[in-house]
Amino acid sequence: MSSVAAQERRRTGAAPTRTSTSSERPRLSRRHREWLAAGLFLAPDVLGLLVFVAVPMVLSIALSFFQVSGFGSYEWIGLGNYERMLDDPLFWDSMKITGLYVVVLVPVLFCVSLALGLLVKQRLPGIGVYRTALFLPYVVSLVVVGVLWKFLLDEQTGAVNRAMRAAGFDGESWLGSPSLALGCVIAVMVWVMMGYYMIIFLAGLQEIPKEFYEAAKIDGAGPWTTFRTITWPLLRPTSFFVLLMSTVAAITGGLDLIFVLTNGGPANGTSLAIFYIYQQAFGFGEYGYASAMGSFLVLIMVLVSAVIFKFTRGGRFDDGE
Amino acid sequence: MLQHGNDAGHPASHSGTSRRRFLTAMAGGGAAVAAPALLTGCGSAQAKGGTLQFWNFYGPQRSPDPAINAQSQWFVDTVGKWNATHRTQIDLVHLPQPTYLNGFKLPSAFATGEGPDIFLLSPGDFLRYYNGGVLADLTPHLDKAAVDDFGSSLDSRKVDGKVYALPMEVEPLAMFYAQDVWEKAGLSEADIPTTWDQMLDVGDKLRSRTRAGLVFETNPGYYQNFTWYPWMWQGGGDVLDERGAVAFDSKATRQALSLWQDAVRHGIAPRTLPAAGDVIGGFKGGNVAMWQQGIWNVSSFKAFAPDYGYGVFKLPVPPGGSYVTALGGWSFCANAQGRDPEAAAEFCVWALGSMKDDSIDRMVDWCVGAKSDVAPRDSALERGAAKGGYDSEVMRKFKDEIFPGGRAEPRYPPVVYKAISDAIQGTMLAGRGVDGETERAARSITAYTKSYKGASLV
Repeated sequence: MSSVAAQERRRTGAAPTRTSTSSERPRLSRRHREWLAAGLFLAPDVLGLLVFVAVPMVLSIALSFFQVSGFGSYEWIGLGNYERMLDDPLFWDSMKITGLYVVVLVPVLFCVSLALGLLVKQRLPGIGVYRTALFLPYVVSLVVVGVLWKFLLDEQTGAVNRAMRAAGFDGESWLGSPSLALGCVIAVMVWVMMGYYMIIFLAGLQEIPKEFYEAAKIDGAGPWTTFRTITWPLLRPTSFFVLLMSTVAAITGGLDLIFVLTNGGPANGTSLAIFYIYQQAFGFGEYGYASAMGSFLVLIMVLVSAVIFKFTRGGRFDDGE
Repeated sequence: MLQHGNDAGHPASHSGTSRRRFLTAMAGGGAAVAAPALLTGCGSAQAKGGTLQFWNFYGPQRSPDPAINAQSQWFVDTVGKWNATHRTQIDLVHLPQPTYLNGFKLPSAFATGEGPDIFLLSPGDFLRYYNGGVLADLTPHLDKAAVDDFGSSLDSRKVDGKVYALPMEVEPLAMFYAQDVWEKAGLSEADIPTTWDQMLDVGDKLRSRTRAGLVFETNPGYYQNFTWYPWMWQGGGDVLDERGAVAFDSKATRQALSLWQDAVRHGIAPRTLPAAGDVIGGFKGGNVAMWQQGIWNVSSFKAFAPDYGYGVFKLPVPPGGSYVTALGGWSFCANAQGRDPEAAAEFCVWALGSMKDDSIDRMVDWCVGAKSDVAPRDSALERGAAKGGYDSEVMRKFKDEIFPGGRAEPRYPPVVYKAISDAIQGTMLAGRGVDGETERAARSITAYTKSYKGASLV
């Protein structure tokens, strides 16, 4: 019926009617429709990544080859900014501090979050309250967290030193001593982030079938054996995710906290690479140089991520074959 | 969930909106609503009609601090009066102080050629902005009498005799002390220290477990350098001499670095600021005996602790040295690359630099009404004094004793600032050798000045 109508239209040259269009519109195959749907669902994310990540990244790399005044003038200097970076002791100091920060923060955060995840998985009365309380620091602004801890760690009147003095110890200058300040920043970051990763671990733990634990119990396995042989191996995808995300967060995050707590001090003791780059860009107007350092930091991050992928096999259960 | 199987499964009579169509419509509608908002968000400061923008960190805002409200009102009134009498209109844009000082909004705006038409500038940033070509020359709008009225207050805002910023205030540094702590320790006015050694001795006497004897700025930044310079200047030292040659590696520099290092090493000065840097809270809470601070705190004391007993005294001097303090203060600037640099420059001069009474009175209102500052113009200083703005004991001391020995905050660019900052931080808080840090900073400054291109650093 419809093909007869089409032939008639071709013969007479008449415009298709609304009725005939709706009934004869060529239909996409199921496969194509799914492709289209997937594309539409992905489009906002892809567009966002392109506009807010990929394009700025490319522009930043391009900017790193220019001397930028910060007031609209650009001068091509080739690898000049990278040469300056190689000779800048403050940048390498900040990289060392970042390395130490990541090496300490990531494992501590991993262990604390995993321990909390195991803890709040228990069916205890009021467990929801504990979960919420542990997650709360994560939803608070880092600036607020910084101000709060600045008061708690105050040299003269802070609660931490008051408690130490009450216990018969001398107080410390937690944020004023180069040997302690970075440790304090790490501790505060763990306090902030542990709730988030605890929830991730909790989700991973809840994915493990109960039957495995029941079987282990019947076999007489103790808590440690159960953890070692069931929980830990089956948490591999979650562990990979936590490891990767916390590493990336450690390398690129914490700027707000550093600003409020220490402003990079004392004596550059908490001047992480990301802080130094920010300072060069927005404090000193050295956008080209900051872009060079930023590009280098991204390269380091990619390498670190690749190493994590390599050693964890991307969190897969198989051997990647 | 997507429907699987063929479409024959759909009821023939389903003429309403399908889930997919609904989602498509929602996405389209969302995009339509979001697009203008996003585009507006991406808009520039200069893309909004012909109104000039004045970015500042005072107002308009509401604050629990009455002093801040008064300062905000001064800005609102000033711009309101201009708008009522001029064709070119100005919008006040308030940025919180931390954002203005350390945020990326202002530098990003200038980097993209979208800087505000009028803005506030500190001496430490002057050269960077001047060398960037964004400071409009205010000289054509200024009377010679007005330039003379400002006197030396304009020195650090001039290049080749031309004025590029107009100071709204002069803020000298002094030592604030808690009278009750002083008295409880059996000290009197006669014990006010005049030398560095006396200052350390008194600080040592006044300190306790919960009270700092003497507070120097501890956070790295332009402000810390600003507060440290007078200690170096008092011994005859300088970063650059009058010809612009590097003079940092000197006995006076080492002496000043040692002073702060010794104060911290002996526990007289804390490694971090008491009460997280809240001056009034620190004093009121009994956590501070002496604190090197600026005149602006007088208005804060008046607002928050009017009955609190405190005093001020001149910064003590080293043996053989002479008294100097640092004079800070912000300026009005016009953007040479803004929408209407002429009108912006005219506004700056109209507001602060005209010989007309209302311009002078406006500065008086700012310096002795909204804030507590020394006025940068002689005429405003006289009128402020006549109005009773310097009648209190503390303000009188600032005007007559502390300010006259002052020297304007230097306008060193970031590399020089950073080298000095690292030397201060390294010696004061990391206990590094004074000699080594002085030499390292001097080398760094020398290397920079050799390749520096721009207006005179001094």
